[in-house]
Amino acid sequence: MATWFENMPAPSTTLKKPNYGEQIRAFAPVLVLVGLVLVIGTLRPGFFNLESLIVTVADTAILFILGAGSTFVVMLGSIDLSIQAICSFASVIVALMLPTYGYGFLVAALVMGLLAGVVSGIFHVWLKIPSFIVTLATSGLLVSAALLMSHERAISIEESGRAYLTWVNGRLLGLPNVIWIAGLVAALGIWCQKYTPFGRYSIAIGAGEPATWASGVKVNRYKVLAFATSGALAALAGILMAGRQGSGSPNLADQLLLPAIASVIVGGTAITGGAGGIGRTAVGALIITIVRVGMTFIGVNIFAQQIVFGLVLILAVALTIDRSKIVIVK
Amino acid sequence: MWVRPGSFPGAAVAGRTRRPPTISMSYDHEHSDETFCEVNKSSTSAIADTESAQAKVTKPETRSRKWLERVKSFAPLLALLVLSLLIGLRNSRFFDFFNFVRIANSAAIPLVLALGATFVILLGSVDLSVEGILALGAVVVAILVRNDMNQNSFGWTAPIFAIIAGAAIGFLNGFVHVRVRIPSFMVTLGSWFVGIGLATLILGGRNARVLDPEIRSLALTRFFNFPLAVWVALGVLVFAWLIERFTIFGRHVLAIGGGEDLAVLSGIHVNRVKVLVFTLAGAFYGIGGVLAAAQLGQGNATIGDGRLFSTITAVVVGGTSLSGGAGGVLNTLVGVLIIAVLGNGMVLLGISPDIQQAVQGIIIIIAVASSIDRNRMKFVK
Amino acid sequence: MAEKAFLSLTDVSKAFAGVQALDRVSIEIRPGEVVGLVGENGAGKSTLIRILAGVYRPDNGALLLDGRPLTLSSPREANLNGIGIVFQEQSLLPNLTVAENIYLGQEKEFSRLGVVSWPALHAAARRQLEKVQLNIDPAARTARLSFAERQMVELAKALALEERTERHLVILLDEPTSVLEQREIDILFERVRALRTRASFVFVSHRLDEVLHISDRVYVMKDGKVVAEMLASETTVPQLHRLMVGRELHAEYYREARQRIPGETKVIRAERLTVDGSYRNVDFTLRQGEILGIAGVIGSGREALTRTLFGFLPHTSGSLTVSGRPVRLSSPDQAAALGIGYIPRERRVEGLVLSLPIVPNITLASLATVMKTGAIQTKQEREVAENWVKKLHIRTPSIDALCLNLSGGNQQKVVLSKWMNAQSKILIFDHPTRGLDVGAKEEVYDLMRTLSEQGIAIVLTADTLEETIGLSHSIIVMRDGQVTARFDAPPGNKPKQIDLIGHMV
Repeated sequence: MATWFENMPAPSTTLKKPNYGEQIRAFAPVLVLVGLVLVIGTLRPGFFNLESLIVTVADTAILFILGAGSTFVVMLGSIDLSIQAICSFASVIVALMLPTYGYGFLVAALVMGLLAGVVSGIFHVWLKIPSFIVTLATSGLLVSAALLMSHERAISIEESGRAYLTWVNGRLLGLPNVIWIAGLVAALGIWCQKYTPFGRYSIAIGAGEPATWASGVKVNRYKVLAFATSGALAALAGILMAGRQGSGSPNLADQLLLPAIASVIVGGTAITGGAGGIGRTAVGALIITIVRVGMTFIGVNIFAQQIVFGLVLILAVALTIDRSKIVIVK
Repeated sequence: MWVRPGSFPGAAVAGRTRRPPTISMSYDHEHSDETFCEVNKSSTSAIADTESAQAKVTKPETRSRKWLERVKSFAPLLALLVLSLLIGLRNSRFFDFFNFVRIANSAAIPLVLALGATFVILLGSVDLSVEGILALGAVVVAILVRNDMNQNSFGWTAPIFAIIAGAAIGFLNGFVHVRVRIPSFMVTLGSWFVGIGLATLILGGRNARVLDPEIRSLALTRFFNFPLAVWVALGVLVFAWLIERFTIFGRHVLAIGGGEDLAVLSGIHVNRVKVLVFTLAGAFYGIGGVLAAAQLGQGNATIGDGRLFSTITAVVVGGTSLSGGAGGVLNTLVGVLIIAVLGNGMVLLGISPDIQQAVQGIIIIIAVASSIDRNRMKFVK
Repeated sequence: MAEKAFLSLTDVSKAFAGVQALDRVSIEIRPGEVVGLVGENGAGKSTLIRILAGVYRPDNGALLLDGRPLTLSSPREANLNGIGIVFQEQSLLPNLTVAENIYLGQEKEFSRLGVVSWPALHAAARRQLEKVQLNIDPAARTARLSFAERQMVELAKALALEERTERHLVILLDEPTSVLEQREIDILFERVRALRTRASFVFVSHRLDEVLHISDRVYVMKDGKVVAEMLASETTVPQLHRLMVGRELHAEYYREARQRIPGETKVIRAERLTVDGSYRNVDFTLRQGEILGIAGVIGSGREALTRTLFGFLPHTSGSLTVSGRPVRLSSPDQAAALGIGYIPRERRVEGLVLSLPIVPNITLASLATVMKTGAIQTKQEREVAENWVKKLHIRTPSIDALCLNLSGGNQQKVVLSKWMNAQSKILIFDHPTRGLDVGAKEEVYDLMRTLSEQGIAIVLTADTLEETIGLSHSIIVMRDGQVTARFDAPPGNKPKQIDLIGHMV
């Protein structure tokens, strides 16, 4: 039943022409990125050093992969707060399994991530628990699992094991492999988003779940799939991190949850769902990293960096959020 | 009491006496001209479940529903009692008086934090800045009292500054949320960083050890066997309860959570209430920060780590609904106690601390799954 | 009672999304009188009183109180001017107590320094409840009350205005009797009569005899205009009826000439279909090309039956056979897979994803048809959308326009094309012409006839009885959860409304 009061102006009687404000807003993240690069570059030309740029992008790669998976979840209108736990756990699996199982670790870690996502998804759709809660809970379970398996310590990967991970740290055509991997993830992600039912329905569910449900779409299946994707990519990020650090630990990625979510939001995917995408998350991840790196470059007091980060976050959301679609802001 | 002639068993519709057929033009008045009232259902933040996105239609409660509702509202309390009993049976030291003191002590800070979060959640919003504000409060108090970092010695006025700092951030949370119309999730996510950042900045990379015995007395001195911190937490509890029960502000919080559109149209100053809620929450987190600094003996930026999860868990497990409008201060008290008893129990039963997070996770799933009325909520985000 | 009007609307117009809800309407309300307001669904009654109540603002025209122009920007402002409204739908907060609901937003009067005095609030609430003879505890949570009790609380809430202002009140009653029992209606009317010295009433209702019973004057509305104004004592129900409908024969309107004899194949068969708590032992068959209308008032179970047929509300006993296969529809995707489509009552919520363009909405139920080797063929998809826009004459500048910006009629056509693209063999039409203007309605009727001619079977739950009769091949009538009558409705020999109503109430 609709409520009797109307608290939003009735849609216009004539068909609206595209609002230029909307169009600019769509490009805002890219503009912000370009602006940031220019500002930092002007203040510290050393920033434009190719090698340092490459390193910056390489650092972003893992953050991006972490954020890319959860982009589908955010498009649904949900959130995945377990990605850092999955990531850390994956690194622990890598570190523990390498000596004995060789490449099997890849399978094990990815399967773990996938399963974790599926479990979150199933509890979410079956028990109708909000994603916020369910993923917090699964992250608790995973953290405990990681703590138990690792006996609460970081586990370094011995020399013999490192051989299996050289591909993580290598370079191809001058660019670090992680960038290529991230690029592959991005390409696949964008393709999925535009050309697969999964991508299409993720947006539809976020933009109008009742209508999508009433159109005969197997909504629950796609929700679980989104969480599974999030988990699998988080695990991939964990594998890469283990490769780069040479070790795995149960809280390896703890600091990455918020930047990952921030990448998604700052990139322009609405926290309320229904719009956005992987490409945007890439832009968002770059912005996040560049703000971090740039602050050090410019010489922002290291102790003030968190503050700047927080303010940038709020500013980015304020600029990109599409308020016409939201009636009540909670 | 109204006599309701039943139509047939289980009818959810109020029965009707037979009237002589009235000649009416269109019989289906359920949706007369409602077309123009179709509100574009918004999808709110990822946190609030969509109960708030759709009109809160509640069917009148039939007898069986009423009974179920009653039971459900006591479920958290029952859970607490059952849990305590189970633990006590396995290890009777649970029932020692000093164990209760331990439980109360471990619940003091979580309670204060959760009470602040309760008002925010009652609105239907969410507050992620708990850890940030707590850290800030702890650091402010740490550097203002006698410490090993500077020459200050503000004594008991220091906590006031800490509370003001917390309230200030909370105020900004609320202000940006209502003025710029950004979902609370995002604003408080940002202020989480800002809070930690400010704490880090103030400390400049050092740690400030609290040397003032009076502040430390909050954690160390006992009054009737309970540390002062517990009494402070109790004071905050009473204060929060009075607000919820007896002030217009408190009732308006519930009204907004229960139906914001209606609240607006009834002339409630929704924005004012929201800003005040976040400010109040910030002040509570500030108090938490003072207690934490007293307990730890120092102020640092990581003092709040991990507390967000347990705060939200406590509120939800206590029975306050994430979509707003249902639950309250007493619910949160029960929720905090459940978490505290659980923690205490795991220690008594020799369960490894590694597993604690897993247990909390399972508990929260069970609590939420059993308290959500799945028939009402169709679209969960 | 030829006194001067003290509240009036002059030349007020209001449009929503291209549909003119009110077209230069003028009415007046005099002190101490009861004004009845009647009209079909969509005639504009609800819009009119919502403007009086401060919920909507008129596009043009003026609201005058005691001769002074008045702009109401919220119901609260209306309250301050002595205008209160009692709705038939939810406007109480279920999680608060009765007393809090009655005095929502006005708690200041019962508090000091921000602290509420519960005894004072409850005492005041009890006074209001006495006025409507509702014997409940003011401290009871509103969620615990029945529909009828809540309606009375809403009335008490409106009557509470009495104590807030010295001026003459205007109380707007929007279909107040639909959920009330006879005894409660009597109380309501008696209160209305007793309050005449202090208040005027505007009584909106479909129950014409009740309207004539209680009102002094009656306004008849049709298509957003006031078409008649008369004293209640000088008119009759049939006359009102005639004025409201305004056209004699519906045959043309519902394209009865196009109604063909349906095919032989049974596409749906329901036997003793039951959903505990909603309806039971419903039997019907639906044949190819047939339009089956379901008639009934609120609570008859027809809404639930409609939802069962698309998997929203699985049946608890009995059998449902679709295209020869016994099924239990437990979710919409199951129903859609069987070739059933659903044109929903809540078009903007369940029919379309408003913030997406036309293209993805059209293919939402049939994405597989524009896919090849696992990928969506966007070019092909756009062609499909273009075709439908053309075929159904959907008025839009482009297929990339957001559905949000289309008018109601065009939105409905997008919904229809969605299911037509999915090649549904069975379509459930749930209040398909709600909120549509006459032209759009006729387009929908044409489409329905076309679909029927193509052999598509339709289950229709319509807005008005007239529509049900006009469009359907056969009709089942429900009351209190059971089928009470069946009618054949061949063109040229349609049953009269009066025949059906007896089985509905």
